[in-house]
Amino acid sequence: MAVLHAWRAARVTPLGELHAPPRMTAVLLRLTVQVVLVASLWHGLYAHTGTTAGLAEGQAVSYAVLAVLASRLRELDQYAGRDTVLQHMHFGTIVYWYLRPVPPQRYHALRALGEQLYGFAWALGGYLVCLAAGVVDPPKSLAVAGVFFVSLLLGQWVLYYVMLTLDQLCFWTVRNNAAMLILIFAQNLLSGVYAPLWFFPDWFITLSGFLPFQATLSVPLSLYIGRIPLSDAGGQLAIQACWVAVLHLFTRFLWRRAARRVISQGG
Amino acid sequence: MTRSIEVRGLSRTFHTTVRRPGLAGTLRSLVNPERVAKHAVSDITFDVAPGELLALLGPNGAGKSTTIKMLTGILTPTSGEARVAGVVPYQERERNARNIGAVFGQRTQLWWDLPVRESFSILRDIYEVPKAEHATRLGEFDDILELSSFWDTRVRHLSLGQRVRCDLAAALLHDPPVVFLDEPTIGMDVVVKEQVREFLRHQVEERGRTVLLTTHDMTEVERLAERVVLINHGRLVLDGSLDEIRRKFGSTWQVRATLADAHTEVTALPGIAVLRQEGPQVVFGPESPDGPDSPTVHQALKAVIERYEVTGVAIDEADLEDVMRAAYVHAEAV
Amino acid sequence: MNGMRIAWRITRLNFRAQLEYRTEFLLMIAIGAIWQVSVIVFATVLLTRFTGMGGWDSSEVLLIPATRMLAHGLFVLLLGRVHGAGRQIQEGRIDIYLTRPMPVHRQLQLAFFPTNAIGDLTVAVGLMVGALSRSQLDWTPGRISYLIAALIGGMFLEAALFTAITCAALRFPAADYWSRWLEELLGTFGSYPLNVLPQAVGSFLTYGLPLAFVAYFPAAVLTGHGHDTGVPYWLAALSPLLGVVAYLGSRVLWRWSLRHYAGVNG
Repeated sequence: MAVLHAWRAARVTPLGELHAPPRMTAVLLRLTVQVVLVASLWHGLYAHTGTTAGLAEGQAVSYAVLAVLASRLRELDQYAGRDTVLQHMHFGTIVYWYLRPVPPQRYHALRALGEQLYGFAWALGGYLVCLAAGVVDPPKSLAVAGVFFVSLLLGQWVLYYVMLTLDQLCFWTVRNNAAMLILIFAQNLLSGVYAPLWFFPDWFITLSGFLPFQATLSVPLSLYIGRIPLSDAGGQLAIQACWVAVLHLFTRFLWRRAARRVISQGG
Repeated sequence: MTRSIEVRGLSRTFHTTVRRPGLAGTLRSLVNPERVAKHAVSDITFDVAPGELLALLGPNGAGKSTTIKMLTGILTPTSGEARVAGVVPYQERERNARNIGAVFGQRTQLWWDLPVRESFSILRDIYEVPKAEHATRLGEFDDILELSSFWDTRVRHLSLGQRVRCDLAAALLHDPPVVFLDEPTIGMDVVVKEQVREFLRHQVEERGRTVLLTTHDMTEVERLAERVVLINHGRLVLDGSLDEIRRKFGSTWQVRATLADAHTEVTALPGIAVLRQEGPQVVFGPESPDGPDSPTVHQALKAVIERYEVTGVAIDEADLEDVMRAAYVHAEAV
Repeated sequence: MNGMRIAWRITRLNFRAQLEYRTEFLLMIAIGAIWQVSVIVFATVLLTRFTGMGGWDSSEVLLIPATRMLAHGLFVLLLGRVHGAGRQIQEGRIDIYLTRPMPVHRQLQLAFFPTNAIGDLTVAVGLMVGALSRSQLDWTPGRISYLIAALIGGMFLEAALFTAITCAALRFPAADYWSRWLEELLGTFGSYPLNVLPQAVGSFLTYGLPLAFVAYFPAAVLTGHGHDTGVPYWLAALSPLLGVVAYLGSRVLWRWSLRHYAGVNG
């Protein structure tokens, strides 16, 4: 039951950010500028084109802006707080994770939950502002909104497991920059952060269907803008749920192996 | 319980693959890896009674940290067993975690970006300490460690001395009966070191905690430890009280003389050996301390003054560092 | 000259050091390439979908991402350690550099060998070759030399921007965050003809953050679109020179910041 009692651990990263107002203003500025730039770009690209790849102008702009806002959800700055798993391995402070009555995996999950909730608050605020300003189109119907919300939750769950795998990699390699970067890149590209996946060739879309990344962001956003019709929603949600299950088992397996690897420096 | 920490035949071996150089070597290593066994800890046995402060000594790489990791539940031993406060640490990690506190030298367990008090609150919740108890205990720690002057600062802005004091408080917040300290005062100034030592003494004597302390600082051992365990090359080579070790390995006296003329040739006197010479300062000790004709300190003093012209003289009990050095050397020879 | 010899020797040693971790070395080359391929795919995917971007022909538009990426690749290879220098600063390495008889900036650059630059440059060169082969321009010596000047100018301009951020990082550890954002912006928006964007936004990316000078303006001048950029022709044409000037300015700023450096805490 230490898990419930340890809820304060979830606040760590958000609290750290709240203690540093310059960091928050930096984030606010960056988000605003990014949204404006991205919206302008897509409006500009669509200036002489109609619907392409199944996306109309309004849809494409909404997708791109929502993707920018969603990036806030799991992007808090752990590095400045010496709190990334990689830094813990480097400084040897990872040892304390194994000395507390809360298991490391639950502690990590609590931290991630806190961060994602905090990021969600930001994203929601940004979303409401964009909606009011007309930058983003509202969902077509209440049903769409509902399905989008469920899909978003599942997507965030999948994202948590993806980020967890990245962190767990740190237990194995001392120098794992490259592997991490490749995973981050794959996550960004295949989740639709750079551009909606629909613009890519068909073989690319099929390929990404075999990886969990598109389930994190591309599916919920596509449901929101209506690119995936409600009729297909059920199937997509089921796929997301499958990824949650598969990754849950995979990361649990990795935690067990990781525990054997906590051999920090020193004799 | 009669014993706070029980260690029986504890051993830990690490298997590493040997990396062969060159491209051919890499390919060979993939197909037919050559594994080498490193015996970090071999067959260690000792006990620690409740309310005792044990100093764990040994050269770098001797296996001290590995032993502590096994006792805190991080590593599982290859063979042998251990019990801490009646719990087997590597089998019941969470239960053990409630009974122990740990401070690992330079590594902090506090959250870098948050004020120290916030870290304390988080730990209070993780260990499920009632709020009132937490407040009382913090007040107690504050009395000796003077934490209140900086516990609202963020950890990244603390000096080393302040940070280690906070880490000590954090390790003891949940009132653990057993505490592991891995070089806690390394790099600190003398004032803070004394504060920490007083704190530890208070915890051991008034609160009856068992403390296992790893250190290279002999003054610390002298002032705090009643018992010493010496580990070298993964083996336990010495286990006894400080007095026993002094008697076994220490010269029982030293005469420190400052010569009037630094260039005087210094030769040994009968039964008296020259231990060290640094410029005009010469340190004399008994040639064979256990020998039957070994001169007493007064006889030696007289002999030195008669032979040399000295401007200053002092009599000393043996430096603990010299004692330990003799003990290490003896252990190597055995 | 002695300085150059030492720098070359250290670079060779750094390269050998990277080779020590063989898998990591190969993976880093791969990531350098893959990262850039993403930009290419992104740009080309959109280029095929949105023809006639801002009045640019598809054979001409490719020149923009090609110029930008090659300039970026050169930057990463030669001056790239200034991006992410926040890490070195936080580790306290500046204090060490200050005690050595070598300029701090040079030591910063010689800290390690950027293996990913190999992949970066390979892909960038490939893209440039592709862009040039598709281009229907007449590649006179004048054009070629201007292209080379543009690449060098672009490299210096990117270096200037990142150096400016590193100057801030000497005092504020969080400046690293801006570094990452800048790289993202340069990568995302540096590959487009900026006249597709509304005037205000385009102006921001010209005068606020001089993104346009890296690749868009030189490519516009080369392809004959120099008069449609929204800025005077001479300004667009002088992009390479502006890059060099900006870099020199950033080095002055660096020297000033270093003099006021106060060390890191913790």
